[in-house]
Amino acid sequence: MKSGPFAFIRTTTFRLALVYTTLFALFSAGLLTYLYQATVGASRAEATARLEAEFRTLAVAYNRGGPERLEQSLLERALVRVRDFTYQFETVNGQTIVGDMPRMPVDTSDDLGEVRRVTFKVERPFADRGTEVTTIEGRIVRLDNGSVLLVGIKMDERNRLVQRVTFAVATAAPFGIVLALIGGFFSASYAARRAEGLTRIAEAVMGGDLTQRADIGSSGDEFDRLSERLNAMLARLEDLMETTRHAGESIAHDLRSPLSRLRNRIGAALRDEMSVESARDTLAQTVEEVDHVLSTFSAILSLARVGNASGETFEVVDLSELAEEMAELFEPACEEADLLFDAHIERGLSLVGDRALLAQAISNLLDNAIKYSPAGGSIKFAAAEGQDGVTLSVRDSGSGIPETDRDRVKERFVRLDQARTLPGSGLGLALVDAVAQLHKGSLTLGSAGHAEPNVGLLVELNLPKRV
Amino acid sequence: MNMRVLVIEDDIEHAQFIEKVLADAGHNVETIGDGFGGLVRAREDQFDALVVDRMLPEKPGLQLVEEYRHAGGTTPALFLSALSEVDNRVEGLQAGADDYLSKPFAPEELVARVEALGRRQPQGEPPVTRLRVGDLEMDLLSRSVRRGETRIDLQPREFKLLEFLMRHAGQTVTRTMLLEKVWNYHFDPQTNVIDVHISRLRSKIDKEFDQPLLQTVRGAGYCLQA
Repeated sequence: MKSGPFAFIRTTTFRLALVYTTLFALFSAGLLTYLYQATVGASRAEATARLEAEFRTLAVAYNRGGPERLEQSLLERALVRVRDFTYQFETVNGQTIVGDMPRMPVDTSDDLGEVRRVTFKVERPFADRGTEVTTIEGRIVRLDNGSVLLVGIKMDERNRLVQRVTFAVATAAPFGIVLALIGGFFSASYAARRAEGLTRIAEAVMGGDLTQRADIGSSGDEFDRLSERLNAMLARLEDLMETTRHAGESIAHDLRSPLSRLRNRIGAALRDEMSVESARDTLAQTVEEVDHVLSTFSAILSLARVGNASGETFEVVDLSELAEEMAELFEPACEEADLLFDAHIERGLSLVGDRALLAQAISNLLDNAIKYSPAGGSIKFAAAEGQDGVTLSVRDSGSGIPETDRDRVKERFVRLDQARTLPGSGLGLALVDAVAQLHKGSLTLGSAGHAEPNVGLLVELNLPKRV
Repeated sequence: MNMRVLVIEDDIEHAQFIEKVLADAGHNVETIGDGFGGLVRAREDQFDALVVDRMLPEKPGLQLVEEYRHAGGTTPALFLSALSEVDNRVEGLQAGADDYLSKPFAPEELVARVEALGRRQPQGEPPVTRLRVGDLEMDLLSRSVRRGETRIDLQPREFKLLEFLMRHAGQTVTRTMLLEKVWNYHFDPQTNVIDVHISRLRSKIDKEFDQPLLQTVRGAGYCLQA
């Protein structure tokens, strides 16, 4: 990340704080505008309405009783002293009939009956405080006998309210903005701190340290969930790295012995004076040895393919049919090995999966069962509806696998001592396990015999119907 | 059966190996090292089989076969590929190839598959309803088999197995070919499952007769021959 005097502008903290502040300011402005309208605006509207009403009342008085009646009404009002109204009634040549003011404060119009709105200020001397300026909103009309009537209402009360509200807004807004900034900064810096933590983990992992794990807080927020997933991902990566490293070493180890045998045989053949016949034998053995190496590679490739598969080859597989076919394929081989073969396959089992890989997995299990069961034994192959899917099981009558080794044999290239003399790459069960994982299922090894724990192996492949 | 085979493969050493293997089996082989030239040759001359590598300069094998088929070419084609995965196999067959063989392969496997291609039923002729090898006779309509005067009872799978062997009489067929064509599975069983099926079939068609028809070809597979 670039650093400089303005690097902080690019940080999420700063941007989020800015966004929060802007949002808060907009909200406050909206709220205050509403408040202003609701108080000051309403108060002004009310004053105007009262002014109009008063003006109409006087107009009615004039219409009914002429100037005398109007004068009478105005005099009565002067006695009652309606507080915030002010009146000025003048004759056609400008003489005051009734009035609060020394003279008409605004220009008059010559049009009879035309009501005009006017706003004006009146200065009034105060004994001790100089003068007081009052703002007045008024209605002025030249009556049909030429006299002029002005009715005004003092707006100062309202204006003071405006000033108070404006003052309140002006005082509150900076506090609000500062609070928004602080709040924005704190929430944003929390996010930034968590993100920074994750960045550090990512950097450490890129540096090769897969043991790093992100901190998980107690709040269970998005960051905690992200950290959890990240940790799970790292654990899986670490696991994979370990497996890959182990597999790499195993491949090297597993292939070194056949290749060195091969080399020795060819070397010996080159040194020896041998007949064509024995040279052919040597070559035939060599081909066999190479074939073994090649089949190990094929198994490694198959395993890699299963590991990389993502389910795009999945289709609806009739598992009953598949199992029947595999049983039919292997039954003669069992008989040949003097093993009793019993297949119990339920009808109508189907699941979504990779047909070729499932066939390969079943084949591997049956291969193993035949390979490890002594003559005279038996193999039971079953396919049945399980609790949450389909269970394929193979029971043999071999010597079984001790409980402590049952997880280990699923790993790549792991071969137990008793199996070392038999042909095989040590990848068979690993492939079945990989196929099980690809289908989100599981591979479990157990004992086939209930009474004697170590007689016979029971292998169960549980596959969900839908991945 | 002598076949004219066009091999389109850019790896010289590998091309020479294929050429030698097929020539040793008695076929005429012509080799071309790029996809474009291969397509031109395949169009201008009548070959009995094409062997096409999938990775080729100028024009990938997949595209070559697709264009060849599109232009009406009927010569059967076999894909060679290091990509052994089943989906690639399906992709190859969809492009118009007739068979698929992944590297590395045994020479016998290549010969067996190429020869199997040459025996394909030419289009337009009425389908065969009767197969005969020596005195072994198969009626595909009534699904019955007899050898000489003796009627032979076969399980459905044994029937299918024998049918495949009879259609490729005189040719070597490998175990993987049988698993692929008779069982429709593409994997490598560790145990001798196919051998046992063959020996069961053999006990039915050969056991009580003087002349054995079903031969084991050492290191390669089986051959049904009178």
